[in-house]
Amino acid sequence: MNIAEYISSGILEAYAFGELGEQERAVVEKNLAQYPELRAELQRVEEVQEVLLMQMAIVPRKAVKENLFQKIDAQKPETKVVLLQADQSNSSFWKFAVAASVTIAMVASYFAYDYRGKWINSQGQLTQLIAQNERVAQDYNQVNQRLDKIESDLKIVDNPDFKRVVMKGKEIAPESMAYVYWNESTKEVYLSIQNMRELSKENQYQLWAIVDGKPVDAGVFDNIAGLIKMKDIGNGAVVFAVTIEPRGGKPSPTMETMQVAGEVVKG
Amino acid sequence: MEYLYDNYSGALYGVIFRILKKEEIAEEVLQDVFLKIWDRFENYDASKGKLFTWLLNVARNQAIDKTRSKEISKDQKTTPIEKVVSRIDNEEYIEQRIDGIGVNEILKVLSADQQFVVEYLYFKGYSQSELAEEFDIPLGTVKTRLRLAMQQLRITLGVTT
Repeated sequence: MNIAEYISSGILEAYAFGELGEQERAVVEKNLAQYPELRAELQRVEEVQEVLLMQMAIVPRKAVKENLFQKIDAQKPETKVVLLQADQSNSSFWKFAVAASVTIAMVASYFAYDYRGKWINSQGQLTQLIAQNERVAQDYNQVNQRLDKIESDLKIVDNPDFKRVVMKGKEIAPESMAYVYWNESTKEVYLSIQNMRELSKENQYQLWAIVDGKPVDAGVFDNIAGLIKMKDIGNGAVVFAVTIEPRGGKPSPTMETMQVAGEVVKG
Repeated sequence: MEYLYDNYSGALYGVIFRILKKEEIAEEVLQDVFLKIWDRFENYDASKGKLFTWLLNVARNQAIDKTRSKEISKDQKTTPIEKVVSRIDNEEYIEQRIDGIGVNEILKVLSADQQFVVEYLYFKGYSQSELAEEFDIPLGTVKTRLRLAMQQLRITLGVTT
């Protein structure tokens, strides 16, 4: 038999669609048993047909299912009686097999459903945990950074090479106070605000050092906690002072806005 | 059984409804089909085909038997006006209830001849011999056209086995 020709006649499609009469069916079935290629091709045909018809499914009304299973339930006692008759084993075995596999399928679906629920739940919990974890890590980082800052600040404050200059409030800001930590040999200047009022966004504080009778710009700063690194001002500063200047600072101080000032203690 | 119903009732009802075109009758036949499946499950022989194919054949036979019974007038398919009206109704109805999407899209890949065959056999509930008779196409041609169409659909639907 020419298998290719046989297949291309479309006989397998007709067979799969239940179009053949009993005689034709029997012939096809005989051929299927004989030729594995035919069997394989039939499987492909069936597969396409199944996918196509599944795509075209129309969901029947719910009542149909309820009705049907009521009818099946009504039949069940009968089935059980059949089961007890040993000599009808073939048919009852199949019913039993169907019942068993249906039970297994139902149990399996229940578990699948249950596990899916649990899975969704744990998925949600996991997402939450990951978010929490990220937040904790962020907090930890912040705390760590602050700790590092405090540690490095402490090293400066504790270092005898740094001179502490206490700047006290002037008449226009008697409550204000800030410290300058200045290392004459390394020329490093740090500032620590003790108490200074908040400024508007347009303005900034500016630190000045008086060197040789002239103000030298030591940089601008905002009202923040901890030590603030300022600009190198060279040698020979005798006085430090802070004025309020437009944001970014000015080349020379506006004396009327001086907030705090302090002399460098010699020695 | 519930598993079978949940998995296959939609596809089988689609087939039955397309043959019978009346909801109450199609529902009744669907019930009969499942009772028959329940009753005759031992007749299923996996060496002769897939489970779905067997279910499909039970469903089609039951539905076609019904068309021959007194409840369905035989002239449903031969009275042109009735046919057109019922077809329009049904197409709207099917569109509302259809489970899968893009069937029309899928069929677009077929040539006009192939589309026609698939449409009448799978959408409109014709049998191959009915189609051949009514449209005066040799039965062999119907078969080969369907064969070519199914081969094309195999690619479109991504069936690779």
